[in-house]
Amino acid sequence: MQKYLTQSHDRIFENNRVWAEEQKKKNPEFFAKLKEGQSPDYLWIGCSDSRIPAEAITGLGPGEMFIHRNIANLVCNVDLNVMSVVNYAVRHLKVKHIVVCGHYGCGGVKAAMTPKDMGLLNPWLRNIRDVYRLHESELDKIEDEEKRYDRLVELNVVEQCRNVVKTAALQTSYKENGYPIVHGWVFGFHDGRLVDLKIDFEGMLKGIQKLYNLTD
Amino acid sequence: MGSFADAIDRIVAGNRVFAHDTAEQDPKYFSKLSEGQWPDILWIGCADSRVPETTICNCKPGEIFVHRNIANCVHPHDVNTSAVVQYSVGVVKVKKVVVCGHTMCGGANHSLTDDDLGETLNTWLHPMRELRRKHKSELDALPDNNARSARVAELNVQSSLNVLREHPAIKQAVNERGLTLHGMIFDITSGQLRLLDEGGSKKSNGLWSPN
Ligand SMILES: [Zn+2]
Ligand SMILES: [Zn+2]
Repeated sequence: MQKYLTQSHDRIFENNRVWAEEQKKKNPEFFAKLKEGQSPDYLWIGCSDSRIPAEAITGLGPGEMFIHRNIANLVCNVDLNVMSVVNYAVRHLKVKHIVVCGHYGCGGVKAAMTPKDMGLLNPWLRNIRDVYRLHESELDKIEDEEKRYDRLVELNVVEQCRNVVKTAALQTSYKENGYPIVHGWVFGFHDGRLVDLKIDFEGMLKGIQKLYNLTD
Repeated sequence: MGSFADAIDRIVAGNRVFAHDTAEQDPKYFSKLSEGQWPDILWIGCADSRVPETTICNCKPGEIFVHRNIANCVHPHDVNTSAVVQYSVGVVKVKKVVVCGHTMCGGANHSLTDDDLGETLNTWLHPMRELRRKHKSELDALPDNNARSARVAELNVQSSLNVLREHPAIKQAVNERGLTLHGMIFDITSGQLRLLDEGGSKKSNGLWSPN
């Protein structure tokens, strides 16, 4: 890590120039193609944590994945920011898959469970405490603290998938087109691998529409 | 259903290659990653798939803390962005905050018109459309819509920086430990980043520019 820290960020522009040159060398048409527009298959909703650059860890290049990243990968119903992203991705870009990706060792999830007044962060992190409350008995039974946080990270991802499914954009598009499909994943730093939580998307949608149906 | 599943298989396979290659290059890499994050930069960028910050800056996981939304807007009462700023500046203690717009931005293009994008997006983009109205004569004088869109993107970066300067965590960090804010534009047609000056226009010799 130290190596990257001393590699001064004053050189970010130099890095960028090197990257741009390399792309042009590999494929002279690269930027001409990008210029034409984007038609990504995926929307990624992930944590802001610097260790999870979505494109890099999935091996995708520019133009392939639409990205929203915030503290602890939350999808809050009154948040115009994330709702605009979901709207644009589903209605305008017509993405086929939405991946909500959390990660073990999430600082946001830990901060949320810390008994402390965190000012502006309180209203945001409160959503994670609400997830805990929904699964209180299961979580309380896990004695190992680290494991309890890991489980909360997973349950938070599932809850945020549910929040995506509650949107009109998703429900309408799925009814009309049969996509997008929502996936819940977790990234582990110890091996750099993504774990699929294998949420039952169809079942989740059906269950949710009992109360949250927004299609006619 | 076939091709849908393939798209997911593809990124899972991409991830396995990433995990394998990274561990092969540096066997201690992931154990170091588990220790924590010390990024120098908070990047507020567009959700656009063509602007993957870590890739275009040739950086490694762990170097850039990221918030990406439609057209890299920072609105004063947005709890989402506020939480990102509070956490990255107040807790993670990044040294630099970057707002990066880009040319050919869908959000900026739509801001040049009053097209109905639905209530959610109309509301989100309203401040950007106001920028268009405010700078109408300057924009009208530009040669084409690509140039107008690029200029609106610049103005929007500057406006986002102005909102950020009023954020309590940023005010405090600027005063106490010299946090700095920077506006940039990523040019999709060349793949190059350029720094904006205080007024939100081009700057040939930037703070971080090697030339
Ligand atoms: Zn996190
Ligand atoms: Zn954009």
